[in-house]
Amino acid sequence: MNKIVLFFLKKYITSPKKEWLRFDSVFMVIGIIISVATLTVALSIFEGYESVLKDTILGTNSHIYIFNATNGNLISDDVKQIEEALQQKDCVDNTSAFIITQAMVSNDNRIKGSIVRGIDWEQQQLPSKYKKNVFEGNWQLDSENSAVIGYKLAEELDLQVGDSFKLISPMNSTVTPMGIKPKEEIFILTGLYRSGMYEYDSKFIFVDREKLSNFLSLQNEYTMVEVKLKSDWIEKADYLAYVWEHEFDYKYQISSWIDFNSNLFSLLKMEKWVIFIILSFLILIASFNVVSSVSTSIIEKRTELGILKAYGTSNKILQKIFIGKTMLLALFTVTFGQLLGILIAKFLSWQKFFVLKGDVYFLDKINVQFGITSWIIILAVSMLIVFTASLIPLKSISKLNITNIIRKV
Amino acid sequence: MSLIKIEKLKKSYNEASGKLEVLRGVDLEIHPGEMIAITGESGSGKSTLLHMMGMLDSYDSGKIFFSGEQINLKDSELSEFRNKKIGFVFQSHYLLEDFTAEENVAMPKFIATKDFKKSVLDSRQLLKALDMEDRRSHYPSQLSGGEQQRVAVARSLINSPEIIFADEPTGNLDSKHSDELINLLMELNKKQGQTFVIATHSKEIASKMDRCFILENGIIKETSK
Repeated sequence: MNKIVLFFLKKYITSPKKEWLRFDSVFMVIGIIISVATLTVALSIFEGYESVLKDTILGTNSHIYIFNATNGNLISDDVKQIEEALQQKDCVDNTSAFIITQAMVSNDNRIKGSIVRGIDWEQQQLPSKYKKNVFEGNWQLDSENSAVIGYKLAEELDLQVGDSFKLISPMNSTVTPMGIKPKEEIFILTGLYRSGMYEYDSKFIFVDREKLSNFLSLQNEYTMVEVKLKSDWIEKADYLAYVWEHEFDYKYQISSWIDFNSNLFSLLKMEKWVIFIILSFLILIASFNVVSSVSTSIIEKRTELGILKAYGTSNKILQKIFIGKTMLLALFTVTFGQLLGILIAKFLSWQKFFVLKGDVYFLDKINVQFGITSWIIILAVSMLIVFTASLIPLKSISKLNITNIIRKV
Repeated sequence: MSLIKIEKLKKSYNEASGKLEVLRGVDLEIHPGEMIAITGESGSGKSTLLHMMGMLDSYDSGKIFFSGEQINLKDSELSEFRNKKIGFVFQSHYLLEDFTAEENVAMPKFIATKDFKKSVLDSRQLLKALDMEDRRSHYPSQLSGGEQQRVAVARSLINSPEIIFADEPTGNLDSKHSDELINLLMELNKKQGQTFVIATHSKEIASKMDRCFILENGIIKETSK
């Protein structure tokens, strides 16, 4: 940067007059801070929501699911073949075969639909965060007919740890002289499960895989094999699913978490950028104050500008000095706005007065996250808008007539 | 060879009441080392003439030659020309309020050389020569009217310009400070051969100059002292 410009910027910072505390500068600063903070809060909440949603979905489900391609269940030989093949792969963390079915669950007069997952709970590392998500009671499903259920489902059925409930499977009904009788069995609630996602917490029941197999009268059959990938490969799950399908000669249907949730995440991403564009207009409006502040500053400093021009300072240098001053102030202002935005976002995630409706937003808690990419994008867009706004009044510097200035003072 | 030569210089302003012709064909020749006074009534065009000779303003017609060459420069070249060849002292000091006396004096040199340290060192020497060394770290608001004008003179001298235009330099000073300032300019003229063109109302100041001109009705005439 030009030495003269640097010298004037240094003076601008150290001057006892604190030019940046001028009335119109203060309004410019407040306008930018509020708009940048608002944008930061919105993006933090969106990013937090996206991140926690992804974390929750991947915490409950696995990254890749392998089904029988012909709509039937997998048999033990299939599972053995799949697990042996996948154990060779560096990208795979662990695998587990499980059974999943829909069933009714009742307690007294309350009845709800549920999704029952039969899991191999003894396995050292389950692909999903099952153990971590059991927050009350015991995650082990070792006692007779024990079950872990989502805490929302437990609330809706008025169940507490230690209570019993009835699991009813209309799909395994038997015909009796009295009519069709669905299969029923009593289970004991031994643990409560919380993933943070309403859809899972209000639907899921976890029972021992063998127990569910017996309940559904399955003979060494499994609904699917779920695969947990190592962290570097999670975002490439759809590619791996495609490759493995070919490797298994299309004997199995292989889907990834991306296939199941791509619409949701695409929508979230699109919404995030739509919000970003809309809220960027706030900065654009705040930049009108930049035009007014720089214009006022030029009018106030016209004598100094005139004398500097008389002594040979070019219009370009004078314009650079004003741009430098504005950008320096904008840099501090935008950074402060971002920090304020993060603080407000943190407060929103911490407060308990306002909670999300879990049945509408999947999650019942506001979560915030602010990545470096968003930080840089907000900073760059804000600085670009301020820079463009500051250029408008700068044209008047080259139109300043030195003799008019000198005569009028 | 003359330092500045102007031929048939004309300048007019469009005003609500019509066209106001300030200069109607001014011819003037200034030689190196001269001290020249331009007198005339208020509004006679003294400042206008000085501003045009100092390349601060444009003119309608006529020619200005500097060291024999006609001045015909672009805006950016004019800035550099003013910076290196010309010094100005105005009726008001026009010092930059946020800068100390030595920084104000150093400014034209800093603009020319981009070397702040050297510019400030030269500025200190100049202030010392003008008996202002002890005031070098003061801001303009901390200086008296006479001191402010001395700093302004020092600023006009820092780049060793070939000519200094002083427009009513004593206009805001009392008679004591006015005398001191004119004596300072005369001393600089004697010691360094510095050329000065001074616009003034004062006959007393004009009488001390080498040559004296009067501007009347847009025409300049040399008068006896």
